[in-house]
Amino acid sequence: MDLTFSPPLHKQRHQFVVDFVKRNKPKKVVDLGCGECTLLKMLKFHHEIELLVGVDVNGAKVKKRMHGLAPISTDYLEPSYDQLCVELYQGSVTQKDARFKGFDLVTSIELIEHLTPADVELFSEVVFGYMTPKMVIISTPNSEFNIFMPGVSCYRHSDHKFEWTRAEFRSWAMKVCLDYGYEVEFTGVGKAPQGQQEAVGFCTQIGVFYQLWGRDCCKTLLVNDAEDLFPYTLLYRVNYPSLCDNNILRRVLVSEVLYGAEKLKNRWMEEQADGICDAVALGPVHHAGEIVAVPLDVLWSCCPKVSVLSGSLGNLKHLLMDEPNIKLSQDSSAVLINHWEQGIAPNSRDEPVLSNKKAQQDSLIKKLKLINLITKIVINLYL
Amino acid sequence: APPPEAGDLGGRGRQKGAPGPFSAEALLQISAGFQQVKLGERGGRRRDFHDAGVNTRQAMEHVKESKCGVTGNPIQLTANFFRILSRPQWVLYQYHVDFKPQMESRRLRSALLFQHEETLGSARSFDGALLFLPNRLHSKETVVYSETRNGEKVQITITLTNELPPSSPVCIQFYNIIFRRILRILNMQQIGRNYYSPSDPLNIPQHKLTIWPGYTTNILQYESCIMMCTDVSHKVLRSETVLDFMVNLRQQCGSQRFTEICEKELVGLIILTKYNNKTYRIDGIAWDHTPSNTFKRGDADTSFKNYYKSQYGLDITDENQVLLISYVKRMGPAGAPPPGPAMLIPELCYLTGLTDKMRADFSIMKDLSTHTRLTPEQREGRLNRFITNIQRNADAQAELDKWGLSFDKQLLNLAGRVLPVERIYQGSRSYDYNPWAADWTKEMRGLAVMSAPPLNNWLLFHTRRNGNEASSLLQTLSRVSGPLGIAMGKPVMIQYEDHQESLLAALRHSVGPQIEMVVVVLPNNRKDKYDSVKKFLCVDCPTPSQCVVARTLSRPQALMTIATKIALQMACKMGGELWSVEIPLKQLMIVGIDCYHDTAAGKRSIGALVASLNQSMSRWFSKCFLLFNGCLPSRIIVYRDGVGDGQLHSVVNYEVQQIMDSIKSMGQDYNPKLSVVVVKKRISSRFFAHINGKVSNPPPGTIVDAEVTRPEWYDFYIVSQAVRSGSVSPTHYNVVYDTSGLKPDHMQRLTYKLCHMYYNWQGIIRVPAPCQYAHKLAFLVGQSIHKEPNMKLDDQLFYL
Repeated sequence: MDLTFSPPLHKQRHQFVVDFVKRNKPKKVVDLGCGECTLLKMLKFHHEIELLVGVDVNGAKVKKRMHGLAPISTDYLEPSYDQLCVELYQGSVTQKDARFKGFDLVTSIELIEHLTPADVELFSEVVFGYMTPKMVIISTPNSEFNIFMPGVSCYRHSDHKFEWTRAEFRSWAMKVCLDYGYEVEFTGVGKAPQGQQEAVGFCTQIGVFYQLWGRDCCKTLLVNDAEDLFPYTLLYRVNYPSLCDNNILRRVLVSEVLYGAEKLKNRWMEEQADGICDAVALGPVHHAGEIVAVPLDVLWSCCPKVSVLSGSLGNLKHLLMDEPNIKLSQDSSAVLINHWEQGIAPNSRDEPVLSNKKAQQDSLIKKLKLINLITKIVINLYL
Repeated sequence: APPPEAGDLGGRGRQKGAPGPFSAEALLQISAGFQQVKLGERGGRRRDFHDAGVNTRQAMEHVKESKCGVTGNPIQLTANFFRILSRPQWVLYQYHVDFKPQMESRRLRSALLFQHEETLGSARSFDGALLFLPNRLHSKETVVYSETRNGEKVQITITLTNELPPSSPVCIQFYNIIFRRILRILNMQQIGRNYYSPSDPLNIPQHKLTIWPGYTTNILQYESCIMMCTDVSHKVLRSETVLDFMVNLRQQCGSQRFTEICEKELVGLIILTKYNNKTYRIDGIAWDHTPSNTFKRGDADTSFKNYYKSQYGLDITDENQVLLISYVKRMGPAGAPPPGPAMLIPELCYLTGLTDKMRADFSIMKDLSTHTRLTPEQREGRLNRFITNIQRNADAQAELDKWGLSFDKQLLNLAGRVLPVERIYQGSRSYDYNPWAADWTKEMRGLAVMSAPPLNNWLLFHTRRNGNEASSLLQTLSRVSGPLGIAMGKPVMIQYEDHQESLLAALRHSVGPQIEMVVVVLPNNRKDKYDSVKKFLCVDCPTPSQCVVARTLSRPQALMTIATKIALQMACKMGGELWSVEIPLKQLMIVGIDCYHDTAAGKRSIGALVASLNQSMSRWFSKCFLLFNGCLPSRIIVYRDGVGDGQLHSVVNYEVQQIMDSIKSMGQDYNPKLSVVVVKKRISSRFFAHINGKVSNPPPGTIVDAEVTRPEWYDFYIVSQAVRSGSVSPTHYNVVYDTSGLKPDHMQRLTYKLCHMYYNWQGIIRVPAPCQYAHKLAFLVGQSIHKEPNMKLDDQLFYL
């Protein structure tokens, strides 16, 4: 009897984890035996995750594909509020590494069957006793299912040290739960042919473990090591750009402010060029010579992105205050931007050296105020 | 598709009997046989952007020995090339890998093969059939066994088929692949063909632009050795999604014209997506699709919205947005039907690059250039830093060492020549220009041009608001035209309403066959009015015309300069000749060809051809061959511009033949000497001069015809123009066909002389004047007229 799974079983296993992540929204996830990082690549799109870690004993395998976990071009273009840090390590799951404590979810997909029984013991202790994550997903082949797999005489893969029946898996899992304070649910992917699911079970059996009590009252705390060890080697680490990073937030905000100001200025200039000297259309942008002032309150109400990023007008002012790329008017109520006539390049040689910047700016502000006043009068006349 | 038979390598390479040392001749043969072999990074076939394998030089007897010129003063230069050094006796071993039983999946084949790392070593490259190793395996044929996950035993036979010398085309492709890996190790992102580093972006917030610094690199066999040519490149990206762009556009232009304008703006642009690292070209817009449309995924139908949510956790907020269409070139799996077009969600896509509209925007370009324009010193510094970074990065070095390769630490030093200054003749007067400025605006002042037809019957259109500008233009024109030797009568001033229709009506009413020139003062630089003026006066009612935007006339202090330029331009448009340089060849006709690719209007391409009409190369005929100087030219030199990377092959094989056929059709015993020169402006080669201890641009007239040229071509570089800021970029000339027997020196000098003959600029330009004229014509037709201009205008430079 030949069985092919659609989608392929390895994809189904990963999809199981992805669906689990969607439901349970863990913030810190580690994949043990991440291999070529396929699962990690799927998980990086799930915004709930803030720390995504992979570890594999074969460092070369990880290195080969790890660049696929780098942020892509567009992550830099428009950073979101999501935070994500990806770390990849070379190391063995039988060793304790202090950096792996306190995760929300640990996944170990088709890993334990590659360990010797002695190592499985160590694995249990490291994962459940030392790392003490809130949730653990462990998948392993179900040897009862092998009757449907032609050509499989002993184990499905030559490197497998064992393949468990459902009962064997269950007894191991129950012991782990007892020892370390977890509860477990059994499920799997890859259904047996019709009518035989009861008798045989899933092709891949999966145990989902939940920590019973809060981390603090775990008995394992008592066994805690005196010193923290870091036996794993960090291979790769990348922080995704995020708006939670204040520098990035500022950068994006400054960009949006300047863009919004430029747009408002252009609209006004165009209206003026077209001879629509309608005062209402003239709007709130004021100009004097080569400098245009765009009031922050107008900017805040006209550009949704600016208002979202800054939260409040006061905060906007505050954020822009000592930004080197932004020139504010003296009372910090408006952004000042340059304006040059199109087609005529400002010739630096012809321009006088601005020796007395302060005085110039003051006179500029006065001019702006005057224009503001006149505008208001004109508007009133029209009304 | 069935996998190729054991003996037949599916056209990928020639199997050799016994590998071993080869004679030089045999090597050449092998290399020639591999011309068609393409190595893709992922095994896919790619276009050859380097035009390798087009060997034109061998057909030209007179340049077989040497293609170098002699005239000029030597100058010591550096170029943006780094030599690639490999161990002596370095060869790349090519193996053919056979699986028994045969394995369909390429991934599986790689996995099976790489189970034998201890045999193969860590440096290896395998594309599914061919394996490349830097070392020779123990025996000629190695048999190993692997096991699949299902326990199936597979026999793998690895047979040595070739030993490739470093200069073989396969090796060179190979170097490029390895180098791309290194750039990836340096955390650079690939966009298109180049690599950029997103970690230190330059922002131009007022236009929502982000610039990523990066590098173009390519490794090729140059004249004497293999080198990497690398240049600083900047990628312009926009930090707004296509959806943002569309919403903005709709606000600007209203719903009625939205579809039309939107397609015009977007089609042809390259986009990036939020979920993968691929680039797509927008080929169309599916106005009837929204994210709730479904597509087949496996067996089930999935909506785009659900797909992106479940696959990438991306929410689509705008349910009503239309989708973008991109025809993906990538082939599907062998045997399967090619995949349909990719449908993309505007909200998840970002625009890259600049639109034509943005290019035309002065303020955007100015802000851009402050970031991207590098002085020669900055550029040289960045290139050196790039190489140092590679050399300092341990992982990158390990990768190179694995293959036994390394790079030179310094930019290539080479010698060039600087051609002497050309004398400019204007009637009986002549003068030299300042060699560093390459401009004779000053020298020309107060000198009469060679010839200019008198202007008696002409019209000046303006709006009521621009009446002042029009009259001041008129005053200044009459002041400057006298000294220039242009006889200018009084025009009829015509006022028009500021609408496209009323302008057109005014033109229709007043322009007749007796009118020699129409000048229109436009109130702003919107394209529609300009287009309708040009369309009417180039097609319907052939009359030379000159448009001026009112704003350029508004600064009184610049008016004299502007009026002078306008007067000269008007004179050219009516068939006047401004200046000339000495061209010793007799009965010579120069032809320039360029193309304009109209990406918006259904991917139309417009070709333009401009040919010289007289001895002094001061009169030009546009569009097709004809005779003016009484007898047929005995020499024709065609300068062909607008040849993209990888298109050289078709120029050499088809266009040259077509040109020869059309010449033959002139008469049986008409057998002129023909040269075809492919002109390329967009190249990544750069040269730096070191003058008084400072890195600077090479002076105008610098010629480079050694080392960084290609051995299989008759090619040279000329730096003809001078730039005030930034680094100058040389122009590459590739003589693909030449029966003229002209010495390389003469060819180079003639080309340089022709760069002096563009009448719209009182200085030296980047390309020979006919190319620039052809470019102008193609641009005007492609951008504004969209139709063939009237034949009556053919012998005038009406398009300047």
